[in-house]
Amino acid sequence: MVRLKARYLLCEVCVSDSSRLRLLEERSIYQAVKAAVIKAHGEYGAALFNIGSTVTYVNAYTGVVILRFRKAHYQLLWSALPFITSIWNQGQKVQCFFNCIHVGGTIRTCQKFLVRYGRQQLCRMLPHCKTEAEKQEVRRAVLSCSLRKLGVDDGDKDEDSEEEET
Amino acid sequence: MSVYMDLNIIAISDKTKLQNIIETAAHLGYSTVAINYVVEPQQKKQQIPKPLSVSELCEKLPIVQGKSRPIKVLNRLTVVATDASHFRPSNEYKNFDILAVFPKTEKLFHAACMTYDVDIICIAATEKQPFHCKRSPINGAIERGVFFEISYTAAIRDSTMKKYTITNAINLVDVCKGKNVIMASGAETALELRGPYDIANLGLVFGLSDGDAKAAVSTNCRSVVLHGETRMTALGIIHVKKKSHPPSEQPDEASPALKRAKTEAL
Repeated sequence: MVRLKARYLLCEVCVSDSSRLRLLEERSIYQAVKAAVIKAHGEYGAALFNIGSTVTYVNAYTGVVILRFRKAHYQLLWSALPFITSIWNQGQKVQCFFNCIHVGGTIRTCQKFLVRYGRQQLCRMLPHCKTEAEKQEVRRAVLSCSLRKLGVDDGDKDEDSEEEET
Repeated sequence: MSVYMDLNIIAISDKTKLQNIIETAAHLGYSTVAINYVVEPQQKKQQIPKPLSVSELCEKLPIVQGKSRPIKVLNRLTVVATDASHFRPSNEYKNFDILAVFPKTEKLFHAACMTYDVDIICIAATEKQPFHCKRSPINGAIERGVFFEISYTAAIRDSTMKKYTITNAINLVDVCKGKNVIMASGAETALELRGPYDIANLGLVFGLSDGDAKAAVSTNCRSVVLHGETRMTALGIIHVKKKSHPPSEQPDEASPALKRAKTEAL
């Protein structure tokens, strides 16, 4: 048997106001992506989207989303993503855009990349810290995600600590 | 990881908004952005604006994602030309790092490709290109190292514009075979920017191949910046720089300065 190959798009939802990210939900993202694909590629795009496309992971704190597409036509579906300008959720419109940061063949490579990316974000945050306590907190977070064994929930944890700092 | 550039960020008068855009661009991984001042000479009394110096814009430039260097900000001038008299090389153009022209007629397009001393030729995004791109001027432009720019913000804003953008882009890419094309945003707000990977993938919709699409956001943009530098210098062979060091340090500084000049000449 040969398995069906997929591509995982690790995307970041960028918003102007980070508190709006809490509104993100798996279903609303799915609907937004589907609508964008239909608008960009019509019925053909919709048909391709219906085969094996899912939203695998959503982190409402950092806005990290993993989308899963079939490998055969992921580029066509991906080309619709830049045209998303807002996501509707519970009657509220969230102005945002998708920024793809990694394309992986398995969800594991995406997770590895996400841990590295989260650490990079923490390092970027360090110069913005104002008090010494904040700096210590960020340094501790950086060390914790580099030394700890790569667990399943590792990505989430250091992302959360990053969020506290902002 | 290559260096990504976005050579078209519309200059808006609101400084905090502009800073916000630059910050977002740095977050997305662009290591160079160019602030675009658009001039339309057919409107009466429009002066060529003075570009804001980078230090004036924001005192501390944000660090680029994945790099340890701060983002580089350039100034760019776009001349919208409807008549041959509109594009006049003058001293005011020398304040800008990059010079672009947006020809509205076929004759001007031909002239821009063959003779004008510019770095970028813009392609219409908000209307149907009123003329057909012919092969001979485009080949001439490619030979001279002038690049064609497709801006994608209009496509994101509106679906009719999207049709025009894609039409014009495919028309252009067919003729120039994917060479000498750059993609830039033309963003006026931070939410109109897109990540470099997304844009490279969007290039496939515009008819570019994988490699060409990636070059359109990275290496081709670098060539544009270098081409802009050659305009300031004597064909890029000799470059005179004013030294700000005190004379006592001169013997130490002599060899690096020489080296620098050599690398810039290349």
